[in-house]
This record gives sequence, structure tokens and C-alpha cells, in this order.
Amino acid sequence: MPNIVACFKWVVDEAYIRKGASGALDFSAVDYKISDYDRNAIEEAARLKGLHGGSVTVLTAGVPEAAKGVKDALSRGADQAFFASDPSFSQLESSQTAAILGEIIRFLIPFDLIICGEGSSDQYAQQVGTRLAENLGIPCISYVQKLTIGEGGRILAERRVEEGVEVVEAPLPVLVTVLPEINTPRIPGVKDTLMASKKPVVAIKKEELLPVGAAPLQTLGMTATRMERNGEIFAATPEGIARFVEALQKRGIIS
Amino acid sequence: MPGIWIFAERKDLAQELLTIGRELALQTGVKVTAIVTDQDDQADIYIAGGADEVVLLSPLAEDMSLDAWLPVIAAETKGADPDIFLIAATARGKDFAARLAARLETGLCSNCIALSRGEDGTVVMERLAYGGAAVQQVSCATRPVMATIPPRTFAPAPAEHGRSGEVRKLLLPPTSPVRILDRKIKERSSQDITEAKVVICVGRGMEKQEDIDMARQLADLLGGEVGCTRPISEELHWLPDDLCIGLSGVQVKPDLYLGLGVSGQIQHATGIRGARVICAVNKDENAPIFQAADLGIVGDLYDVTPKLIEALKKIKPLSR
Amino acid sequence: MEFKLTEEQELIRKNMREFADKYVEPIAGEIDENSRHPAEVFKKLAEGDWMGIPIPTEYGGAGSDYLTHILAIEELSRSCASTGFTVSIHVGIACMLVLLNGTEEQKQQYLLPMAKGEKLGAFVLTEPGAGTDVMAATTTAVLDGDAYVINGTKTFTSNGPTGDVYMVFAWTDKAAGRKGMSCFIIPRGTAGMSAGTHFKKMGLRSSQTSEMVFKDCRVPKANLLGKEGAGLVMAMAGFDHGRVGIAAQCIGIIQAALDESIRYSKERVQFGNPIARNQAISWMIADMATELSAARFLTYHAAWLKDQKQAFSKEAAMAKLFASEAAMRHTIKAVQIHGGYGYCKGAKVERLIRDAKITEIYEGTSEAQRMVISGNVLR
Repeated sequence: MPNIVACFKWVVDEAYIRKGASGALDFSAVDYKISDYDRNAIEEAARLKGLHGGSVTVLTAGVPEAAKGVKDALSRGADQAFFASDPSFSQLESSQTAAILGEIIRFLIPFDLIICGEGSSDQYAQQVGTRLAENLGIPCISYVQKLTIGEGGRILAERRVEEGVEVVEAPLPVLVTVLPEINTPRIPGVKDTLMASKKPVVAIKKEELLPVGAAPLQTLGMTATRMERNGEIFAATPEGIARFVEALQKRGIIS
Repeated sequence: MPGIWIFAERKDLAQELLTIGRELALQTGVKVTAIVTDQDDQADIYIAGGADEVVLLSPLAEDMSLDAWLPVIAAETKGADPDIFLIAATARGKDFAARLAARLETGLCSNCIALSRGEDGTVVMERLAYGGAAVQQVSCATRPVMATIPPRTFAPAPAEHGRSGEVRKLLLPPTSPVRILDRKIKERSSQDITEAKVVICVGRGMEKQEDIDMARQLADLLGGEVGCTRPISEELHWLPDDLCIGLSGVQVKPDLYLGLGVSGQIQHATGIRGARVICAVNKDENAPIFQAADLGIVGDLYDVTPKLIEALKKIKPLSR
Repeated sequence: MEFKLTEEQELIRKNMREFADKYVEPIAGEIDENSRHPAEVFKKLAEGDWMGIPIPTEYGGAGSDYLTHILAIEELSRSCASTGFTVSIHVGIACMLVLLNGTEEQKQQYLLPMAKGEKLGAFVLTEPGAGTDVMAATTTAVLDGDAYVINGTKTFTSNGPTGDVYMVFAWTDKAAGRKGMSCFIIPRGTAGMSAGTHFKKMGLRSSQTSEMVFKDCRVPKANLLGKEGAGLVMAMAGFDHGRVGIAAQCIGIIQAALDESIRYSKERVQFGNPIARNQAISWMIADMATELSAARFLTYHAAWLKDQKQAFSKEAAMAKLFASEAAMRHTIKAVQIHGGYGYCKGAKVERLIRDAKITEIYEGTSEAQRMVISGNVLR
């Protein structure tokens, strides 16, 4: 009956980001969501609970508005949530997030398995899971596409690496980071969403935590990606295509 | 002690890191240390590529995972206190780097695509965020400055003969609780699109799997390979994963990239930014690919591609 | 006045959107073409508690409010107006009729499986000779011992061929006029009740519509819903709920028309520019977006009033009237924006315009809605 913790991040839905005039990004019309791969992490936790019993706790550190994400996470098969919130948590760096989550888990959440997404859809630093494992002194298995809890408190995981797949095993407690291939997150039913508000949420204020250290990595700037070659457009007519081919010849692409 | 350290689990990636490692080292007059997983006789290659010191990791047992080296490398790094530590961003490399950075209590710039020095000498690193929609510039206030570098961000370092350097070996590491039980090597597609000079890429504009044949014809005519965007491999499984070009796929730097029915979403576009000439065929004039392209044809790919094939046949007789 | 949805409502709406994108959108064209009822989708809707949102949990529903149900109908209809409509009539009319008027036994036996989505409800009132003129109906229910015997023909019954629980209206006492019609709950398979073949319709083709024929159909007394003679009053209250649902269906249709029009007008290039840059087109889109917003607020307000347990007949009629006429107006514009392509099978707007027309007719024609509204306003 494993106690499973699934960590998630409440992020800007990048589909709503627009480009501003001067090359800056326009966040005025953005909506928020649980980071895509974190949905897979929560789903995997719920799936394993369905097989083995136990409990699923979801955990996040973010701004107070992320309460909606906590509700969303609870509607996906979790039993309870821990929510560390503060307006200053809007741009936490990976090591800061790992420190906060680690502190909460160490003191408040008994666990056998921690599941994280392999990277968040906003920053995609792919660090929090591994750093959290280091913080808690447990092994980390990353890029997992298939997960099984085996006999005798051991975990069996298939990792995706460049050459193919590594099948690894480790004794619990363990942290894993998961790929989207691992499962298909459910679409919560109406009752799932309504019952989410009735599940316990432990709210943790910034003042209750150890002071968050300075972020080692500092963002100097964030600009819209420029892929502006803005070349020539040709019509799909025989003449247009002929001129296109000529242009390729002129650039030495074809003889 | 000042120095630039690099670590890669593959030779080709180590050679790429040496390029940037050497550049950074020359800026401040320090040495480059390359940590590699090779045998003794390969050390010369790294020295020729710019390493002043080569640290060989003895082979791991079959069932040992890379993180077994963590305590040893962490101790070495603490002892030597290098300025910068670059690690090749393979899956294992990224994992290792994050854990090492946590142990060293330093910052890590993931998937760093560019490094330069600011006016005051601090290292400025660039990476992509928001699914590729943004470029983020970061600096690190702690030591060592760490970054993981994706494959093919830098060209392999040219060999400079006559260079000398030191070689040493690191002892076998303590074991890790993670054991590797099995490895399943995946079948690679017959060709490697990361090496191809011409890449014809198919996107969501393709209506049926059979239509990819048109792209193959074009590729054959031009001496190139067929690649795809993520939906084609990940969702539709019309082509294998290693032909997927983009943020979560491969980076290509061909002389010619031609997208057929590719909209040019930023996650894909970041995979082709190094191409010499980018071309696109798409029926949507407002498709983002046209901003990224040097030459574009606005039209239905089912109409344009056959005409393009005919026009090219007239110039190049079918090769292969 | 707060113009905000609750967090639950926002999440539920997002989930319905995701469901519709995943399961309904890909088959919407096919089920329209083949006039097919997608049983597999309704099974999934049942699993997600979408078939009884405003029904209390003790009767198999999700225990939420009417506005949340309306949001779901809107998102479903955006992908397929037929699917949205089927859920709307099932919940808004069939389920609500039993919830508001049924005995405890009737609720347990009929409402529970309907709200769970295990059984599909149908509303059987209209006859070949009695549309807006409900009083011209001729179907009778005559008490004979412990059962009513029902004879007559009904038509345009949605979910006729596919229904499981039929809410059937018949005269128990024609002489009593407006107080002479009663409502009966008749389960599928009852001898003497049969559904005709599915009508071939211009639009809303996936929704199954047919005649219902009653020939000496014996219905136990226990299946009388409410009191004898209360049929019309119950039906009118049923229409109030159903109309808000239809208005939601129309909002979904207009939203789909707007999405398609925006996308197409940015893609289509004529005279060197996307047609979205032409004022004629951009003004059509401006009007579409504006009336969509107006329809939305009229509809949400009517649903909100119902949830506040206030009278909402007038608002329901206004929402239905405005939204349906707007849906027709703007699907016509959407096809115009698409030009020749919009006239061909395969274009979503080709289906939207055909689906929109019926919304001006059923659950009370626009003319009937005007009678309700003026009757209310001119008192």
C-alpha cells in the first residue's frame, strides 16, 4: 500500500502567449494550467494507487492563484494536497522549488514513491525532480515511460535514453520523472471536480518554511524567439514554381 | 582553481563540448579538463581537440547506472573548484548534471544553446523557454557555473596536432542503488537525418501515411532524407521517433530544409534554425513557417509537390 | 453583480471542451452524414457524469447546478450540435420532469438510471396536428382498472428510436381543457408503444427523431407523473429548462461558426491579402462575436436565475429566441465568409448552417417565444 506523492507546477498555458510589437512577449491574454507532463505524473500516481492501494498526495509550490490547480489536481485521483503559496513564488528557480518541496515532504509527508513530470512546459529545465531526489537523499530514475511497483518494495522502470530503452530497478523510496508516453491523463468527470473541493488541502505559508535561498541562476532577459528570415514567397503556379527552383539554383543548393 | 571542465558520455559529444570549452578557456587563460568514459588510447583525440587534462572514467559494470559516478565526480569538482562545468545533454547527462548541481549547491542552465561573456567577464547563457517561443538569458551567481549542452549545438573541435596534455584515471565508483537489468537498443531508421545535407520534412498537412512517398521522391531527387514534425511520429506513428525534428526531437543543420505541410510551430522551428536555406510549402499564408523560411510557396502541397518534382527532374536526373 | 464562474465551473467547462475535442469533434461529420447516434460517445458521457449534471447525487446525478450543465451543453454543441441537443433534452426536459414532479419511487426507478446516463430520456408531446397548438392534440389516456390505455400518434420525438424512458403527454379529460392533459412515464419495451423510422432531416441528423405510435398501450397507474390534469403545467415548466439548454446549444453553434470564420479568413488569400483584412469580412466577424457574447450572457443569466430559484420563463424564452435567431444569422454569414468551400460537404460551416435552422423551430418556435415574452411583458 504505497504512499505516493505527485508534484506539479501551475504554469502559463503557452498556447496563449502572443508576441508583442518590440519582440517582448505578451502575457496579457494568458490562461494557466497544470504543466502537461505533471498531469501524467498525477495520473501515474492514481493508476498505481488503483493497482496497489495506498494514497496519493499532490504537492505544489506557487502563487495563491494556483489554488485552482490544486483543485484540478485533486480531481485527478488524489486524496489530499499540500500547497505552499506566496505571491513571491511566481518565478521560483529549480533549486528553490526543490528546496521547498523537499522541506515539506521531509517534515510532513511520509512517502514511498515521488513522481514528477520530466520537465515543466514553461521553463523545461528538467531539474526539479532530480534536485528533489538529491535533497531527500533518494535515488532518481528519470525519463520513465513505464513504471511498475514490484515485489519486496522495489520499483521497475523503463527509461528512454538516446540509444533506446534501459530497464532499471531500485528499492523504494525512489523519485521518478515521467515522460508523456507513460499514460493518457484522464478527463475528470463532473463529480471528480466537485468532490475535489471536499478533499483536505494543507496550506503552507512562506513564513512557515525555511527562508528560500537566493536563486543561483538569474534570468537576465526573456525575448520572443526570432526566426525571421522573412524570405521570398512564390505563387503555386507553374511560373512561381519555376522561379522557386531558380532561386534554389542561385543559392547553390542544386546545380 | 580556475578551469573549464567538460563531461560527456559519448566521444562525439565530448568533441563538441571541447569547441566551446576551449573558447571559454582561452578567454581567461585557463585549462580545459575533459571527463570521458573512454579507454586510455582515446585520450589523444581529446587532447588534440583542446583538452589540457583528460580524466578517464573506468568502465561501469553492466548493471551500474551513470549516477554511480556522482560521489567521485562531486568530490573531484569540490576539490578542483573549476569556474565552469559543461555536461552533454543526453538523458543520462541531464540527470547527472542536475544531481551534481544540487550536491554542489550551484545553478545549472539546462539545454544551453549559447554561451558568451558579458562585459564584466560573467558567463551569459541562453536557452529556450515556453516551448521554444522565448529565448531566456541567464547568468549563474555560484561556482561552478554549470550548463548542459544539447548535441549539435557546437561543431566538433578540429584536431590540433602537437598539443600535449595530462591523462589520469578515476577509480571505480561505489555502487548506486539503481541497477540496470536490461537494455533494448531501438532500431534506428536506415539513415541519420542529423547528417543529411537535404531534409524534406512532412507535417500535419499530410493527409495519409502513403502521401509521405511524395516527400521521399523529392528527397531522392535531391540526395536527402525525410524527416517529420512531432505529430507525425509521436501521435500518428507514421514515421519513427528518431526522424522527429524539433525541441524534443533532433536538431538538423542541412544545406536545404523543405517543409511540406509544416506549419512551423516554434517547437519544430527550433530544430531547423541552423539550416542554411529553409523552404516551405503550405496553403496557409499566415503559417509561422513562412517567417522562418528563406523561400516559400503558398499553395496546396498536393498540387505543388508533384509540380516541384517535375521541375526538379528536368534539372537533375533521378539519382539513386 | 459578479460576472465570474466558480473555479469548479471553469474546470468542468475545460474538461468538457477536452472531452468534446477528443471524442466528438473527430466523428461529428460522420455521424451527421450517416444520421448515426454515437452510442459509444454517450457511454463515455455517462462515465464522466455529464448526463445528469444538475440532478442531485441521491438520484444518480452529479449534484451540481443548472449553469454548470449549460456550460457543458455549450462546449459539446461547439463540436456537434446534435450531441449537445441530445444531452440537453435528456437532462433539461426528461430528467427535470421527473425530478420536479415524480414520487420517490418514480425518481428511484426512472430518474436514477437516466441521470447516471444508463437510460436515455425522451419527451413525447408534439403530434402531426399539434405543434405550437398543443391543445389540438388527440392522443388519449383512458383509465381501465389499474392502468391507463393510451392511443394516438406523436411525431418529431427526439430520441424516439433510441430512448429508454419516454415522458408521454395524453388527454385524460379533454373537456377540462388546459387542465385535462396528463403525463406518463413509459419505459421502452412497453407493449403498444413503438417508434417509427428516423426522419431524414436537413440538419441535426445524428439526433434520432421519429413518430411514436400508441395502440392500446397499457401503462400502470403508478406511472402517472404528478396529478391527473397537471400535464400542461409540467410541460411548460419543462420547456423553461429545455429552452435554456437550446440557447446553450446555439451559443456552441455560433462559437464554432466564429472559430471557423476567424481561421478561414486569415488563411484565404485573394487579391494578395487574407480576406480578414477586408472590412466587409471583418465586420461580419465583429457582429458574430458581439451577438455571441450577448447570447451567452442572456443564457447564463437565465440559468443563474433558475439556480437562484427565481422565476425564469421570460428569460429562458428571450435567451432561446435571441440565440437561435443569432445562430441562423451567423451561420449564414459563416458560409458566406467561406465562399464556395463553405457550401461543400466537409466544411464544418456547411453542417452548422443546417443544424442551426431547427433551433428556431423546436422547443417552441421563435413565434411562440415571442408570445411567451410579450405575454409576460405586456401583463
